[in-house]
Amino acid sequence: MNLKTAHIKNFKCYKGSFKIDFSQGVNILVGENETGKSTILEAIHLALSGVLNGHYLRNELSQYLFNNEVVESFLSNLKNGKNPELPCIHIELFFDGHTTSDFAKLQGDNNSMKTDAVGVSFKVEYDESFNDEYEALLAEKNELQTLPIEFYKITWKSFARDSSITTRSIPIKSVLIDSSNQRYKNGSDVYISRIIKNNLNLKEKAGVSQAFRQVKESFMSNPSIEAINKQVKKNSHISTNKNIEISVDLSTQNAWETTLMTYLDNVPFHQIGKGEQCIIKTNLSLSHKKSEKADLILLEEPENHLTHSKLNEFIKSVTINCKNKQIIISTHSSFVANKLGLENLILLSKSKVGRKKTYINELPTDTQNYFKKLSGYDTLRFILCKKAILVEGDSDELVVQKAYMDKHDGCLPIENRIDVISVRSLAFKRFLDIAKIIEHPVAIVTDNDGKFKEKIIDKYEDYEGVESIKIFADEREELNTLEPQIVDANKKQLDILRKALGIKKSKYNSEKSIVNYMVSHKTDSALKLFETAEEIKYPRYIKKVIKWCDDE
Amino acid sequence: MTNNKLIIAAAGSGKTTLIVKEALKIDKSEKVLITTYTIENEREIRSKILRERKSIPANITIQTWFSFLMQHGVKPYQGSMNDMLFENDIKGMLLSNEKSAPKFDERGRPLFIRGGGRQYYGEKDFKEFYFTSNWRIFSDKISKFVIGCNEKTKGKIFTRLSKIYSTIYIDEVQDLAGFDFEIIKMLFKSNINISLVGDPRQVTYATNHYHKYPKYKNGKIKEFVNSELGKRIGCTIDESSLKKSHRNNQKICDYSSRLYPDFEKTEPCECVNCRKTTAHDGIFVVRENDVAEYLKTFNSTQLRYSKATKVDLAYDVCNFGEVKGKTINRVIIYPTSDIKKWIKSNDAELKDGTKARFYVALTRAKYSVAIVYNYSDNEEINGVEKWKG
Repeated sequence: MNLKTAHIKNFKCYKGSFKIDFSQGVNILVGENETGKSTILEAIHLALSGVLNGHYLRNELSQYLFNNEVVESFLSNLKNGKNPELPCIHIELFFDGHTTSDFAKLQGDNNSMKTDAVGVSFKVEYDESFNDEYEALLAEKNELQTLPIEFYKITWKSFARDSSITTRSIPIKSVLIDSSNQRYKNGSDVYISRIIKNNLNLKEKAGVSQAFRQVKESFMSNPSIEAINKQVKKNSHISTNKNIEISVDLSTQNAWETTLMTYLDNVPFHQIGKGEQCIIKTNLSLSHKKSEKADLILLEEPENHLTHSKLNEFIKSVTINCKNKQIIISTHSSFVANKLGLENLILLSKSKVGRKKTYINELPTDTQNYFKKLSGYDTLRFILCKKAILVEGDSDELVVQKAYMDKHDGCLPIENRIDVISVRSLAFKRFLDIAKIIEHPVAIVTDNDGKFKEKIIDKYEDYEGVESIKIFADEREELNTLEPQIVDANKKQLDILRKALGIKKSKYNSEKSIVNYMVSHKTDSALKLFETAEEIKYPRYIKKVIKWCDDE
Repeated sequence: MTNNKLIIAAAGSGKTTLIVKEALKIDKSEKVLITTYTIENEREIRSKILRERKSIPANITIQTWFSFLMQHGVKPYQGSMNDMLFENDIKGMLLSNEKSAPKFDERGRPLFIRGGGRQYYGEKDFKEFYFTSNWRIFSDKISKFVIGCNEKTKGKIFTRLSKIYSTIYIDEVQDLAGFDFEIIKMLFKSNINISLVGDPRQVTYATNHYHKYPKYKNGKIKEFVNSELGKRIGCTIDESSLKKSHRNNQKICDYSSRLYPDFEKTEPCECVNCRKTTAHDGIFVVRENDVAEYLKTFNSTQLRYSKATKVDLAYDVCNFGEVKGKTINRVIIYPTSDIKKWIKSNDAELKDGTKARFYVALTRAKYSVAIVYNYSDNEEINGVEKWKG
């Protein structure tokens, strides 16, 4: 079986309920920063393992797990004399596929969809057994500054309402590989220990435990340690019958996990490069052999610590070894997403109404096919920037960039996460299809080609009224392309324009002749304009798009 | 071939041992459930397994009947049974020894119907019918709930269960009653291998008092299997595998079998270890005046119907109901007046409950059973010897 749907409510950046579906193999979560990619991975891992940031959440509940707005609104309602319900975090995971015995145990209708499904439900909720205390607290003070987290509990149940579930009883084992590198206090890496432990069978685990115990025991019986202990005993003036000695911690059952260190070529695992760590962890979990158990690998932004060639190597090994494993990767690298297959893409975005997800297969089929064939990384560049400007060609791209720089002290648009992308004008509509669904701000800068109604009005009528989409073109049909537009904008300072273009007045004395020159030296002219120190004036529609860039 | 089986076991025939042995033989990849009515017997099954293995194998689950019904019958689809149960947790079970959910007036006094009986909530009042005010489910209605919920979900409960377990053993099956029979029917219908094991002669508890299948209460599981399953559901009845007692000798087997002429007679086993004899073996009647001397001679454990019966407190004493499952070398039974009538003439009618308890008492002993009975010298009593001090 595999993870079908995650349902996240009030957890971290997710206000209210958020649902996201996954497919069996590779899933790629793409989105800008702050769109909640990592939170999704964390939530899934938490509901499968009870672990957040490498620690069991049970003893580390805090208000910061909750969506801030939800907490604020609770507190302010309370302050205003209302009797608001205490907020609750709820993560539900729905599984899908062939129901074996272990999975059937998780089957029932204990889910927010109220349907018959296999899955688990993880809640951080108010514990009603604290009713008296909570009421006493409210009676004493009319308002609270923080969520009364001390009255909260974790309720971890299967869809069959069995509350005795543990990481062991959930047959999907998740490994979260992130860049933060959670470590036990003495240095060994939580995840690597977990991954290695997952790979061992019971007998092997017992073997490691015993070997570890023996090492500790032989440490104690080592003559020099014995001598030291004698010394310690003699010198310490504590009560006569008590025995004081130094030893190794034998207290916990799984002590080896926290104490043993993993080495790579004699270098402690946490000392090697993070990129290398990421590759090793991923490969270890991919090589997991327990076929009876489903594995879910959660991979957070693998591009963070990898060079391009390492990333390539890494992705290759993921694609080769991911058979029968479900992988969810968050990334903002268009390279990663493109390589792993666009059909697996889930776009995350933030709009005024809330957080959204879009599956690439929700797009119109012809648009889907277009992007699948599209080489390069333009698709994701488009999605991952703050605002996108689509232009028709290299010269438009250069001029728009230059216009932006002139207004922003020489700062390139990309530095403010505004991406100017040059696309064949026929493809504009493909991008707009995505932008419409994910409500991504996009501007199109285009020529009217002498047919304003046909080329602009009619062509883009489907997108009229879509708030995130803006079309910038000039309605004066006689100025049909960029070049006559530029000449027109500079008609009062043709000398400056000629200077910028590096052409002589004697040869190009009319507006018409300059236009002709520019049209026949398209790219060259644009480059000259891009590089010039002269103060060029820009056509109206270009000025408008630059203004749009600065709109909130 | 059917994969359903009812094994009628004689007292002391080692039925728990048989279940444990069979369960341990099943391939580790298949999940097995062993369920039984009482906590004592659940514990007994556990310790039997632990005598064979170092730990309970991961594929074997042992739980009581109620705990099984709660986990797999009630909870998975409680919301589909009633919308209220999406919002409210069922907080366990309330053991009800009599019919549950009587009505009270607002001052907490019981309400009565015209004829004098108590008023009860009906199924229309869903919450009150099944639950206490703090959402504990009444034990006598659990199996009714399960069947109702299964119908409402078009069979999901048993479909789910059949994905979990390949084999289910139900021990002490004679204790099941009412809607439990319906659950057994559904289990038989499923593709799970079902083995019911029990001794219908030893009914001492009943799981519920609900008026469903009243004909088959008091251990009439065999009759139920024979007449209620219909053509499509099969179940093999096995009366021979466990008819031999490792506890009782021939005389005790013969005499106790007279209580249940419709069942195959139980036989003593042939194991050398079980078949030791003493100078005083068999069934005896002892006059009240001779009891003190008898106890002094044989140190038998005294068995009585209830606490009200006078006994000699210098010697061990147990109620009939407490000794199920136990082996005692020698017993002396204080019979009720009905039992005395039966001893006089085996044609005398005995109530089901009394009969079962008397049967349990008789079949505890390894060597000798004495019955306190003031016989006259010329009285002829079938199957017993007169003990004279």
